[in-house]
Amino acid sequence: MHARMGLFAVLLGFALSAHAVTADELVAKNIAARGGMEKMAAIKTLRMQGQLIFGGNFKLAYTQLLKRPDKVREEASLQGLTQVQAWDGHRGWSIQPFGGRRDPVPMSADEAKALAEEADFDGALVDAKAKGNVVTYLGTEDVDGTNAYKLQVKLKDGNTLVVYLDPDAYLPIREIAQRTVNGVQQVTQTDYGDYERVDGVYFPFAVSSGPKGGTPDSRMQVSIDKAEANVPVEDAVFAFPARAATKQGSKP
Amino acid sequence: MKHPTAFVAAASAWALGGWLVADAAFAADNGFWARYDSGAISGLGARNIGSATMSGRVSAVSAVREKNGKVTIYVGAASGGVWKSTDNGTTFKPVFDRQPVQSIGAIAIDPNHHDTVWVGTGESWMRNSVSVGNGVYKTTDGGETWQYMGLPDSEHVAKIAIDPRDGNTVYACVPGKLWSDSPDRGLYKTSDGGRSWSLVLKGGNLSTGCSGLSLDPKNPNVLFAAMWDFRRKGWTFRSGGESPTAKSDSGLFRSADGGRTWTEITPAANSGFPEKPYGRIAVTIAPSNPEIVYAFVESPHSALFRSDDGGRTWSRRDNSQNMVWRPFYFANLIVDPVDPDRLFKPDLTLIASTDGGRTFSQVGGGAHGDFHDVWIDPADPRYVIAGDDGGLWYSHDGGNKWWKANNLPISQFYHVSVDDDDPYHVYGGLQDNSDWVGDSEYPGGITNSRWENMFGGDGFWVFADPSDKNYLYAESQGGFLGRINRHTHQIQLIQPQAGYREKLRYNWNTPIALSPHDPNALYIGAQFLFKSDDHGRTWQRISPDLTTNNPEQQKQEESGGVTVDNSYAEMHDTIYSISESPKQAGLIWVGTDDGNLQLTRDGGRHWSNVVGNIPGLPRGEWVSWVQASPFDAGTAYVAFDRHSYGDMRPYIYKTTDYGRSWSALVTPGNDKGLRGFVHVIKPDIVDPNLLFAGTEFGLWISPDDGGHWARYKGGDFPEVPVRDLVVQPRTSDLVVATHGRGIWIIDDITPLRHLTPAVLDTDVAFLPTRPVVQRIEAFGGWPEGDASFTGPNPPDGAVITYYQKSRHLFGKLNLEIYDGNGRLIDTLPGNVRRGIARVTWNMHMPPPRVPPAAAVAGNSTQGPRVVPGVYTVKLVSGDKSCEQKLDVGLDPRDPFTLADRKAQFDAAMKVSDLFGRMTDLAYRIVAVRDGAQARAAQVKDDPALQKQLNALSGNADAIRKQIVATKEGGAITGEEREREYLDDVYGAINGYEGAPTDYQLARVDAIAREMGDTADAFEKLRNGDLARVNAALKAKGLQEIAVPDKAPADDGGAPGGGGMRGRDRDAGFERE
Repeated sequence: MHARMGLFAVLLGFALSAHAVTADELVAKNIAARGGMEKMAAIKTLRMQGQLIFGGNFKLAYTQLLKRPDKVREEASLQGLTQVQAWDGHRGWSIQPFGGRRDPVPMSADEAKALAEEADFDGALVDAKAKGNVVTYLGTEDVDGTNAYKLQVKLKDGNTLVVYLDPDAYLPIREIAQRTVNGVQQVTQTDYGDYERVDGVYFPFAVSSGPKGGTPDSRMQVSIDKAEANVPVEDAVFAFPARAATKQGSKP
Repeated sequence: MKHPTAFVAAASAWALGGWLVADAAFAADNGFWARYDSGAISGLGARNIGSATMSGRVSAVSAVREKNGKVTIYVGAASGGVWKSTDNGTTFKPVFDRQPVQSIGAIAIDPNHHDTVWVGTGESWMRNSVSVGNGVYKTTDGGETWQYMGLPDSEHVAKIAIDPRDGNTVYACVPGKLWSDSPDRGLYKTSDGGRSWSLVLKGGNLSTGCSGLSLDPKNPNVLFAAMWDFRRKGWTFRSGGESPTAKSDSGLFRSADGGRTWTEITPAANSGFPEKPYGRIAVTIAPSNPEIVYAFVESPHSALFRSDDGGRTWSRRDNSQNMVWRPFYFANLIVDPVDPDRLFKPDLTLIASTDGGRTFSQVGGGAHGDFHDVWIDPADPRYVIAGDDGGLWYSHDGGNKWWKANNLPISQFYHVSVDDDDPYHVYGGLQDNSDWVGDSEYPGGITNSRWENMFGGDGFWVFADPSDKNYLYAESQGGFLGRINRHTHQIQLIQPQAGYREKLRYNWNTPIALSPHDPNALYIGAQFLFKSDDHGRTWQRISPDLTTNNPEQQKQEESGGVTVDNSYAEMHDTIYSISESPKQAGLIWVGTDDGNLQLTRDGGRHWSNVVGNIPGLPRGEWVSWVQASPFDAGTAYVAFDRHSYGDMRPYIYKTTDYGRSWSALVTPGNDKGLRGFVHVIKPDIVDPNLLFAGTEFGLWISPDDGGHWARYKGGDFPEVPVRDLVVQPRTSDLVVATHGRGIWIIDDITPLRHLTPAVLDTDVAFLPTRPVVQRIEAFGGWPEGDASFTGPNPPDGAVITYYQKSRHLFGKLNLEIYDGNGRLIDTLPGNVRRGIARVTWNMHMPPPRVPPAAAVAGNSTQGPRVVPGVYTVKLVSGDKSCEQKLDVGLDPRDPFTLADRKAQFDAAMKVSDLFGRMTDLAYRIVAVRDGAQARAAQVKDDPALQKQLNALSGNADAIRKQIVATKEGGAITGEEREREYLDDVYGAINGYEGAPTDYQLARVDAIAREMGDTADAFEKLRNGDLARVNAALKAKGLQEIAVPDKAPADDGGAPGGGGMRGRDRDAGFERE
């Protein structure tokens, strides 16, 4: 799941000039479109709630918590059981309760990379150099009838993102992530829409993701209903739960 | 800003009910078709149903073993792009789909930088159906992105070689244009990574280019290049000169200075080399010993030759039939990277030598045959990958036994048809891959096994016999026609035969056609048109020779050049297209490959050639398609294909007066965006203004009878040859036959029929669809692993279609579904894409509220499917909305009535309600349990009360354990309580949409009684222990334990279930 991309604000009322566009210019436009660095930086935590639809049939309640600079926790609930996956800035873990176990398990380093990338609060384009990411402009490409700017981000962790920016709004409309998991490349396509402002910063409230070229049944759609910035969130929420307070089976 | 602004327009249009009849002409006059483009139409997705079972011709294979031991494979499809595997072939992905050509001639991986790969487009196996390329491409990131590196007029590329010392030095071996003279051919070299090229070796005439290339890996200044004099025409082909002994400019050349200077290998200077003339030559240097050079030389005495001194002297080696068979199609030599005496020659079958070419054995084993390329693993030369006309093959025993790649849907269909079964079947014939019938949908997906071979040879037209479902018609090359029992596969050959001292000229791709007026009738064209009224038992010749009958174009026995090759592929002066008017029986259009366009209006008694009425069209142009209009007897469409004259541009014309006059719809002077020669032009069967054109480079759709066109790109449909297409009448699916990427289905084109200028100018508007039915939900198939192709089914649900002028970017876009009583029953995220956008509603009610337990109750994650009826769909964004009705029907295949269906729904809803009551009860119990536990901690000073509270908590939990399974641990606990029992019977009722059985309903009643007992037990606890505890609490001034009535709605607004979300999320764990 890649529910979040980051963040946006006012539209720029002009297109990029005719001269050759650079990656830096596009990133700057993107930051401005999201709301500008100042407003973005003012958001320290973010909670987004809505629903997650898997394969068009399974609907789960969904919550995502983000905390600067690099923490994320996602929850998806079904029949009172809540699946959790989180990244505390150093490691990832999950709880997969639907099959009868509610104890947390650590994620493999490869699996956790996607979560860690998601935890990058402002996204891979912002402060790319400082993060060790390399952003390259690859021209324009058609995204479902929209001729989008195409930015490639080679991430420090070895994975690659290709971010497609809307040519008018400079907000991401699609992202192709290439990640190596267990030595095998996985390619995920994520589409963004329904941008709404939260404390002056644009966030996508519709996120649809799945394997690139996969069938509709393989896609997950997140639809956000409510988003709150700067909600108090303890670091512990993102940390690996140390031990069971009660014996298994005692709850619910 | 992209905020939606004009929902009102669509909504009011709906209110008026007249938005679809807006004045299109007015809109068109005002340029509103300007909004008609690929983005507007491509939201109608397409699904590729393959198949990969027959796969298709592989023209080039390249691979490399990586440091981690894995083998990266690149496969060049003859007309289906480049496919890459990074897992030894377990999975492939197409990496070239966004490029404008899909025919691949050569692939070269930079030996020092494996992510740098060069692709030469345009296959060089110059058969009659070969596609075309447009130059050379390079990737430096393993195929993620490609740079076009030029040579735009090369048309075909045979080989690419990279200097191992310098990846910027690359040679491109360009045979050049097949159908016409061209100076843009020969061996090209770049020293700057492809920015500039120089022609370092050119042929002696305008038909001689480079067909073979080998670079000495140890001294890359040494190169051998084979030059090939060749030409194809519609009626003949030559590899070499015009005859086996005629002059040819083919030759073998050697350079020792990186291509600056060249020396021809000649029998005079190089003893043992054969005498001229030559046809096609293949040459390769043994990588492990560059002194050893092999050359297959097509000549009047074709054979393999070997040099052991770097090309100075040669000795003749094998000349067996498989060595010299069809050199224009098989001219490749692959030497073992380790053993210079071991080599393969791809041919009709694969042959291999282990004695330096003296003898060869057939090693094709169980592979398809007609091999073209081979890769041998340097680290394990027993591991061999080969490409042939049937796809890709792996051998782990040195090339004796083969394992088929079942994951390359690069099949090359010539034609496609459908039947009226439900689901309908798809029929089609393919290059060297027979005639097949496949499923358009199947539970679990359309796996390779859902396709069945019905005939043999090269396959072309296939039709279900409309008069007898047990039979179908299929043909192979040269009009070899059969009527086949689809169950027993028994074949009756029914090709019309020649008369006394007569030769019938059947095209390679001989047209057969059904009559729209008589299910027993069938047409086939040689130079005469034949008609059968009795499934081919008898034939009537209903025309004179309809061709030009030009004797100069009937010398196929002399065709081939150095090596005779007369396989029907050059048969000419033949009928190529037949179409009887659906509006008037006996009105038949016939197009010929030599430029005649014939019409009869009386069943063949009189014919007139109307091609001369087409203004500006040169005579002799190949009629690739003629199509009678389904709407008007006098109207027809015709496409001409001039690629056999080297003209790759589109030509489409229309008549409305029986051919007396013609209007140009698409011509090179006004191509309207179409690219490539046209294979097929067809109107829709419902909307006379909707036209479909398939060209060598894709599918184009016109909404206004040819005035405007847009390339269809839905479902990542590549720019692949589209040879045929058909609209299935019941489903309105457009079924597209590609020559290189199999069959694609665009489900339900109804929205295209309503995409008027007025709609295009609307911000948001619903578009009509085909009637929505609740298709049977079923399971099928079986895991086949990841190395097998499976075509997807149509969406499982109601497909809701709307148009939006621009991509939706800001604010919520939702679809709300209301039932007949106006009750909101579902909300779906909208589709944000520009143009036609689709959303699938699964037509299910929300799932039951289910109390939390140890694990998810699987059946209850799905709500009951709604009852057929009229629903309202509302597209909502902010305060704007528009709506349309959705009339949902039963699947006609359902064996039950609507009343049965309602009974099932009512029963499922009853169980769903029981689940809700169970959830509320469990919630109340948990409130008591947890309330008592919490208070017990507060009354440590009162051991008696504390004991009471603990007992109350325990007793409450004991009741709860009668309701839900509580043993966690993730094992198969087998623990079933009321919740699990109810889930079982819910699954049984919900899983079949006919009326539930009596015993299922009885089971529900039994569980309901048990639930009643449990509820009674809780009430007893509530009125007894709880009341006493509350009294004691009250006496101590503590808060009583409250019992809520119902579980609260879930936070987040989504069906988290059970009302316990937030309470129980990963409860029980402390944090570090």
